[in-house]
Amino acid sequence: MAENANSAITKEKPLETLPGQERYVAPLEETPLQQVDSVDEAAPATSMWADAWRTLRRNPLFIISGILILFIIVVALFPSLFTKNNPTYCSLEYSLDGSSAGHPFGYDLQGCDIYSRVIYGTRASLSVGILTTIIVVVVGALVGAIAGFCGGWIDSVLSRLVDIFMAIPLLLGAIVVLQMFKTTGSVWKVVLVLALFGWVSTARIARGAVLSSKNLEFNTASTALGSTPMRNLFRHIIPNSLAPIIVIATTSLGSYIVSEATLSFLGIGLPSTTVSWGGDISSAQSLLRTDPMVLFYPSCALAITVLAFIMMGDAVKDALDPKSRTA
Amino acid sequence: MTDEKKTTMNDSSADAMREQQLKSGPLLEVKDLQVDFTSDRGKAIHAVRDSSFSVYPGQWVAIVGESGSGKSTSAMACLGLLPGTGHVVGGSIKLDGEEIAYYKPKQFVHLRGSKMGLVPQDPMSNLNPVWRIGTQVKEALIANNMDVSHEKRSKLSKALAGSEVEVKTEGDETFIGSKELPDLLEAAEKQLVELGVTGTKLEKTMAKFREEWVPGSETRWRVASDLIKAGVKDEDAWYLAKKYVTGSSMEDRIAGLLSEAGLPDAATRARQFPHEFSGGMRQRALIAIGLACRPELLIADEPTSALDVTVQKKILDHLQMLTDSLGTAVLFITHDLGLAAERAQHIVVMYKGQVVESGPSLEVLQHPQHPYTKRLVAAAPSLASQRIISAKAHGEENAVVMEHRVDEKKLKTSDTIIDVEHLTKEFKLPRKKELFKAVDDVSFQVKRGTTLAIVGESGSGKSTVANMCLKLLEPTGGKVLYEGQDIAGFKGHSLLDFRRHVQPVFQNPYGSLDPMYSIFRSIEEPLRIHHIGDKKSRAARVKELLEMVELPESVMQRYPNELSGGQRQRIAIARAMALNPDVIVCDEAVSALDVLVQDQVLQLLNDLQAERGLSYLFITHDLAVVRQIADDVVVMQHGKLVEHGTTDEVFNNPQKQYTRDLLDAIPGGKLELGLDL
Amino acid sequence: MGKYLLHRILQMIPVVLGTTLLVYALVFALPGDPVAAMFGDKPVNEAVAAQIRAEYNLDKPFIVQYLLFLKNALTLNFGNTFSGQPVISQIARAFPVTIKLAVMAFCFEAIFGVIFGAISGLKKGKWYDSVILIVSLLLISVPTFVTGFVAQYFLGVEWRIFPVTAGSNPGFLDLLMPAMVLGSVSMAYIIRLSRSEISTNIALDYVRTARAKGMSNTKVTFRHILRNSMIPVVTYLGQDLGALMGGAMITEQIFNIHGVGYLTYQSILKGEANTVVSVVTLLTLVFVVCNLIVDMLYALMDPRIRYA
Repeated sequence: MAENANSAITKEKPLETLPGQERYVAPLEETPLQQVDSVDEAAPATSMWADAWRTLRRNPLFIISGILILFIIVVALFPSLFTKNNPTYCSLEYSLDGSSAGHPFGYDLQGCDIYSRVIYGTRASLSVGILTTIIVVVVGALVGAIAGFCGGWIDSVLSRLVDIFMAIPLLLGAIVVLQMFKTTGSVWKVVLVLALFGWVSTARIARGAVLSSKNLEFNTASTALGSTPMRNLFRHIIPNSLAPIIVIATTSLGSYIVSEATLSFLGIGLPSTTVSWGGDISSAQSLLRTDPMVLFYPSCALAITVLAFIMMGDAVKDALDPKSRTA
Repeated sequence: MTDEKKTTMNDSSADAMREQQLKSGPLLEVKDLQVDFTSDRGKAIHAVRDSSFSVYPGQWVAIVGESGSGKSTSAMACLGLLPGTGHVVGGSIKLDGEEIAYYKPKQFVHLRGSKMGLVPQDPMSNLNPVWRIGTQVKEALIANNMDVSHEKRSKLSKALAGSEVEVKTEGDETFIGSKELPDLLEAAEKQLVELGVTGTKLEKTMAKFREEWVPGSETRWRVASDLIKAGVKDEDAWYLAKKYVTGSSMEDRIAGLLSEAGLPDAATRARQFPHEFSGGMRQRALIAIGLACRPELLIADEPTSALDVTVQKKILDHLQMLTDSLGTAVLFITHDLGLAAERAQHIVVMYKGQVVESGPSLEVLQHPQHPYTKRLVAAAPSLASQRIISAKAHGEENAVVMEHRVDEKKLKTSDTIIDVEHLTKEFKLPRKKELFKAVDDVSFQVKRGTTLAIVGESGSGKSTVANMCLKLLEPTGGKVLYEGQDIAGFKGHSLLDFRRHVQPVFQNPYGSLDPMYSIFRSIEEPLRIHHIGDKKSRAARVKELLEMVELPESVMQRYPNELSGGQRQRIAIARAMALNPDVIVCDEAVSALDVLVQDQVLQLLNDLQAERGLSYLFITHDLAVVRQIADDVVVMQHGKLVEHGTTDEVFNNPQKQYTRDLLDAIPGGKLELGLDL
Repeated sequence: MGKYLLHRILQMIPVVLGTTLLVYALVFALPGDPVAAMFGDKPVNEAVAAQIRAEYNLDKPFIVQYLLFLKNALTLNFGNTFSGQPVISQIARAFPVTIKLAVMAFCFEAIFGVIFGAISGLKKGKWYDSVILIVSLLLISVPTFVTGFVAQYFLGVEWRIFPVTAGSNPGFLDLLMPAMVLGSVSMAYIIRLSRSEISTNIALDYVRTARAKGMSNTKVTFRHILRNSMIPVVTYLGQDLGALMGGAMITEQIFNIHGVGYLTYQSILKGEANTVVSVVTLLTLVFVVCNLIVDMLYALMDPRIRYA
């Protein structure tokens, strides 16, 4: 049949055209012919990072969270700029007093100034969040990159290890370890325990990222140019795997702060001598029915901090997400 | 389903069809259509501007153009399926005289499937992976309340069918059911025996019946006419047909549709999932879905671009047969001029969102008038009849010499630069014991300063050969010699030296450049790896290379994501040229590019060869491109070498059937176009 | 399918062994002294300490300790608490409560998470999409114990809609508010996950093909967009069921529910290392089994896995 159709077309006798299908040639001035595949020299040059930065700058989520995070960092570094009161100076005579001049949030059960405790508590939460994230990213990315890059039995062993750690929920694992160090230790105790159970999710993501960029053609191209596998790893694979790692690092920073607060709330996180939001919330919980505001202030500070980091994570994800970039 | 029966387009019926088309007027009429997309910043981007074209019942109309020309957008506007922010802002789209351009989404639902069907472009992404193939066909039937026991015919095919067989009543269009089929066959055999048909003739006739009487596809009058042709009396034939052909079930109809689209063993296949299908099979399923509700108009958006040429030909032949017999009009979107010339009666050429030329396809392509069409026709590889000759190298005096010549001086050192001997590569497949032979005993030589093309379809092992020649894969058996030395022995310094002389250009212009590297760094990378020159001299070299591939210097600070596919491919060539190699291995280097850009890159490769005496190992699936660039050809199939010869030998006098099939499948290969050029 | 199941179960065994070993090692091999921890602030009585060490085989080499623990655990013999009660009987009392709580939380987060996620993903850019997004962002940012207090204060104390605490033998109504609190964070994650999945799927080619068939918008939405978007959501949900049991600790503490979390917390306070290890081991097992079920569901929902 197809043969027939062809022969019908190729026949010398031209078929008469149907109305509306006559020969039409557009006037040249309507669509001036352009050079084939010319480069638009006017457009500004953008690297992936510059592009991501431009997207970020226009994202209100980023601006709001950025300002919040900057503010939180300043509070954590220089709490004395924001309050002159000593958070550990408590006097029972002020117990549960309302707000007064210089003490806007009033006093808690022990008669400590809530406002200054909230300000000074920032440092503990933020340092746990940042330190944990740093350790998790370094360890997780390293293990993940090695597993993804080497493959074979190294990958199998490391992946099983990740599976084992994955099977223990972060909070449960932390509780098991921390119950033995209830009264001792510092911020580092919490940081190390959170990192011990937190590195796996980053490792998993790093492994996936390395695996997918390892199989991209530019690595083969580089090898064919004479590059060695190690050179490929550092010059091509790792730079190309950074985006998802940065995204998970930003998002999980917030969740580590939550975990720290939760552990402190359970009384096995930061020692009670350290001023922390989780600890304050814990000691205020019995006041829920009578003085809910004592509970409210540290909770609010905690929520705003976490929200800022989660929003930042969302903004960074939007800017770096390969799915939104391939368009 | 024999060809004679489907042949509705013989001379007399062509006239009948024309008459019918004139009477009914255009089925689809697009006038001054304008489609806009809204950018992130709320700016309107004009994707289609003032485009007009029309499709008559039963006609194949092709829209051709490069990517971004607005051809798909125009077609999707007709279906009300514009992606993202796309919307019609002006003009009119009339279907059967009814204005549909400004229909609401709900109104379109009634048109889709039953009036207009779609065969989409990419078979891999157009079937939902979680539903069985049959279910996805069924959805179409149910959505349009199709009567699965009867054929539905277009007005046109009804009018045309009248001239062949008399179709008296609705009942004559009833399908065979799988339940009644055995009884029908038995009765037919009995009838034939009564008529005195015996022996091989009986067997033959029955075999023919068994093959053709597909449940859910073959209708009562066809059964009757088959019986009559076999010698059964009219009365008896109709009696049998009426008694046993009483309508099909949903399952029968689904299987019938799939087998009409050319899917073998359709009833079983219908129960499988998309991932169990090859690309070609998925495309057939999509054709079955597109035609399931017997639309008047089928919009086929590059329906076979993702497939091998031989598969493409088979599927298009089948589609054409189906649409002709059903009287379906086809709006066919393609970037391939040869395909358009071969399949469509009317052609519409689009460029930058506008129709630049339209008319009867052969006339337009033989005598193109718009400069863009002229350019397209000139660049179309499928229409080229000879190798590109680089004017640069040959100079004016040689411009008359219509033959590609090799620099005599270079030939002195040694005739062959790459020698492949009995190359074999086996892979272990997951969950399978036996090894898979991707390359099986392949031998050939690349002569210095010439191009050897390896042609084959997907899975032929051609890229594996390329990777072994580049020492990116170790062969299981056999060897590759470069300048007489076995490359398997290269290590450390000698390997680095080999890499310096043999460079690759890969298929995917999006993947082969590191997105994090600026163009400058990308081109500079090989110089750094081989510790050549200092900062200043490397920068100078990069500039020189960019000039060589005809890109402006300003490109240096840019990143790959800002450049087009063709530009990236030129960057990849510049990078490959950085170390002054002797051999470049091009693995499908131009396959992903638009015709014009492809032509440009091929010219560049050819110029470089002429200037520098490069040798190319050119891997491609496109025989038409081979004609343009290669001196020698190796044809591969299933890992084995099928044919090896000079380009002229292989094209003019192919020795093997497979090569002939490949040549036959080049779309429009036999048509002479661009006569005025 | 059967082969796939077997493969997954075999893969599970080293994970279970590794995980229990890890938990055991964390408690008994780390520098901290669990026996000393049992005494809390009181001075350590060496004679009693030695007796305890013998009882829990702590005087034997570590690997022997672990194997003995494993052997006992297989027969559900987790030893006795400090006060002489068998650990298993405490666990048997606490587990049903937590399971009830976790299942309720699971239903809550699954139903509302998917519904709000679907609304938000299908109507991207509408005002209620923004509202849903902001609420889910808030729920993720606010720690569970804060959400718990807020709910307790308003729904329990101020408006008296729900009982403020649940007590030792809670019924459905007692657990309703705690379950909502427990499931709230996961619900927010499910909303976000469904939303992003749906908005990705809505633009996929096969959805366009389905529309081109002439299917109505409702049918396309359910059969193609939602059906495919639910695959990762179900995966998340399954993994979350295990995590909910572990995460119930905070909620149980706030609402005074005598479940597994409450038991663990009390054991931590009393220094009952043995109970803690036993409970955590069991919870980890639940988590691993849930993951196995997820794998099965995943295979059921996605034929590409099933037949791979």
